[in-house]
Amino acid sequence: MITVSHLSKTFQDPDGSRLTVLKDINCEIQAGEVISLIGPSGTGKSTLLRALNLLDPPTGGSIIFDGEDILAKGYPVHKMRQKMGMVFQSFNLFDHMTVLENVIYAPCKIRKEPLEKAREEGLALLRKVGLAEKANVYPSTLSGGQKQRVAIARCLAMHPEVILFDEPTSALDPTMVGEVLSVIRQLAKEGMTMLIVTHEMKFARDVSTRIFFMYDGYIHEDGTPMQIFENPHRSATKAFVQRIRKEVFEVNGNDFDFLDMESRIRQFCIKYNIAPKTDLAARLCHLMLTEVMDGYIPMTIRITYSELSGEIALDFMVEGLETTPLKAENATLQEVRSLCREVVEEPTSRGFRVKLRIV
Amino acid sequence: MNKTLIGFFSALALVSCAESQQKTIELHSEADLAGLRVATTSGTCYDMELSARNDILLDLYNSDGDLLQSLLNNKSDVIVNDEVLYNANVRKENGIKIAMLGEQGFPTGFLFNKSDVVLARTLTAVQQRMEQDGSMQRLKEFWLTDRFTEVTTFPRLTYEATGEPIRVATCTMSAPLSFMVEGEWYGIEIEILRELGKELNRPLDIQLYSAGSGFLSVKTGLADVLGGCIFITPEREQDYQFSAPYHEFHPAYFVKDADAASDNEAFLSGFKKNLRRNLVTEKRWKYITDGLWETLKISIFSILLGSVLGMGLYAMARSRRRGMRTFARIYNGFMAGIPELVLLLIMFYVVFPKTGIPSDMVAIITFALFFASGASDIYKTSLDAVPHGQTEAGLALGFTRTQTFFHIVLPQAVRRGLPLYKGQCVSLLKGTSIVGYIAIRDLTRAGDIIRSRTFDAVVPLMVITIIYFLLVWLFGLLLQLASPKKKVL
Repeated sequence: MITVSHLSKTFQDPDGSRLTVLKDINCEIQAGEVISLIGPSGTGKSTLLRALNLLDPPTGGSIIFDGEDILAKGYPVHKMRQKMGMVFQSFNLFDHMTVLENVIYAPCKIRKEPLEKAREEGLALLRKVGLAEKANVYPSTLSGGQKQRVAIARCLAMHPEVILFDEPTSALDPTMVGEVLSVIRQLAKEGMTMLIVTHEMKFARDVSTRIFFMYDGYIHEDGTPMQIFENPHRSATKAFVQRIRKEVFEVNGNDFDFLDMESRIRQFCIKYNIAPKTDLAARLCHLMLTEVMDGYIPMTIRITYSELSGEIALDFMVEGLETTPLKAENATLQEVRSLCREVVEEPTSRGFRVKLRIV
Repeated sequence: MNKTLIGFFSALALVSCAESQQKTIELHSEADLAGLRVATTSGTCYDMELSARNDILLDLYNSDGDLLQSLLNNKSDVIVNDEVLYNANVRKENGIKIAMLGEQGFPTGFLFNKSDVVLARTLTAVQQRMEQDGSMQRLKEFWLTDRFTEVTTFPRLTYEATGEPIRVATCTMSAPLSFMVEGEWYGIEIEILRELGKELNRPLDIQLYSAGSGFLSVKTGLADVLGGCIFITPEREQDYQFSAPYHEFHPAYFVKDADAASDNEAFLSGFKKNLRRNLVTEKRWKYITDGLWETLKISIFSILLGSVLGMGLYAMARSRRRGMRTFARIYNGFMAGIPELVLLLIMFYVVFPKTGIPSDMVAIITFALFFASGASDIYKTSLDAVPHGQTEAGLALGFTRTQTFFHIVLPQAVRRGLPLYKGQCVSLLKGTSIVGYIAIRDLTRAGDIIRSRTFDAVVPLMVITIIYFLLVWLFGLLLQLASPKKKVL
């Protein structure tokens, strides 16, 4: 249904600075697929969606929709958009219209549907999203969740072939996320083709037929929810789906502010609710730097915490090293081993890493 | 509402009628003026002479009517004006008298552009002929003595003329010099100029100017000749051309006459009489209706033109091109910084004087230029206030850019901008009250014209205030009707 090849998008600021958000996007979307776009913020998920319906026209590549090149000169973009609906993060309901008018305005004006017929259909759609009783009120009186459901009904009223959801629940109070997601779930069940940018991992996993993991302007990994969530191939995907939090320190000289590093490790632990491990992590760092790995500079230290598995680890990485930096077994190293669950020594593509698994 | 208004004006009238008991001031020579509050009209020779004295308190007024009011309201003790201006009727009606006549007489004539020697000489020749055949004598006997009561009985000189009109500017709207009755010009100066017109086979096109702009209109070529009790002074002769003087006027010193029987009429019947005198007599209501039409015409056309120009200005302000944006910014800054009256005078005397564009067109263009600046600001405020998400939602539904603008953005912007737009229209409507400066007889000017004939301030001002009030209310109502309906489908 949609074929995207070598799609790129570069934003140019008025001051001349350029920002390439989409670098090289290739994908094929079939009718009936429900695709969730996940990934860290700033990696181009929303931009890809907005490039697809040309709200932010791409700067390179091609998009074939229903066999037509929608980037061709003179292509009637508005005709394409009638078949490709969009639901926005901020709802964008027309504030000067009632709920029902919001839903039937486009069918009446664009498809020239008779008012009575449009009204009937609009009410049916509102019933479907559970808002028929609000048909004649103005959007300002609705809650966020209700507004988003109206927006979905408004989108459906144009009978789109595919719907793009741009973070449909991100602007919502957590208590209202559920009502919107259940409407989307219902649509998925009915076989609607959808692309959904979302941060709701559980929802993405349940509802999608396919997941695009977006990273650094590319579709970094593309697979079924099973593949992406249970068995990600790439480390960035893994870090993301396991919700790995990290803090990195570059020790680049003897003048490095170790006390500051210690405070930041403490802050990190408090932020992710692992405060009981703070002293342990600080102690391990201290031991490693003063005794076990003394003298290896520059060195990169990383503390990571996987929200999914609960694992906390400290990585000590030295570039350009091919063998273990650990000295012969001594009392200090013994202490380190006893304090953590496992000590892993492994070479990496750029050097050598000592990983201390704390929990 | 109207009841309150009338109440307010009645109170005003009462205050202005209240007379303090005081003795009639005696004057024997100009030295007796010392220590008195003296008033005269600005821009006259009396003004110049009195200004030189430092032993009096001098006030200057813009019209003969205002000057008289200042005496009646005890704002001044003595007023100085041409002896013929407040004739016996006026003096009796208002309870004033001439305390003395000034010793020095002033030769009075008509003023021409320095380059227009031929017209000035022709008029001098015409006046000489009139002196010889006695017609000048007859004119003076009728107009310059206290004999005339019913001015319209004077047999005016009528003639059929086919030539270019002589553009006459007059800066006096007072009997017996030049004044209007039922839309027709009367007065001694008008009659003299008619003789000139007949001689040259040219009709007269008479416009009323304020004193200062009268001179300017001759200098810039907007008018061929200026009348209205213009004294011939050496200073003026340096810059202008004069025809021979037709009369020598003496300044008269008018004071309140304590002995005059004051009208002890009941307030209401006095008020009714005043209403009739100001509106019905000589069909004076017609000045008001004509002025109303003029005010409406200027307001409506400048609002329409200004709204369109404002769109262009808004487009420039939103343009990608830097030069366009700069122009729009400078334009708006200029319009915000210049008083409307100043721009109006610049347009009339500097930009358009030679083009032959009628003065109401000049007013419409000037006010449209002002309105464009305000309107572009309103467009900007109200369109920018519609969130970009509304446009995106419209586009995403499949509307074209144009459809999105007209179906979705514009209705919301209009809702936001209409109150501002209404305010702008009302302020323009009221702002047009200055067009009298460029010889347009609008509503405000109509009040001035009536005042110059009746020497009454209360009724004309009250009537035009009420009309402006109703106009503003009506404008609001019209815009309300034009506002988009709440129902969109």
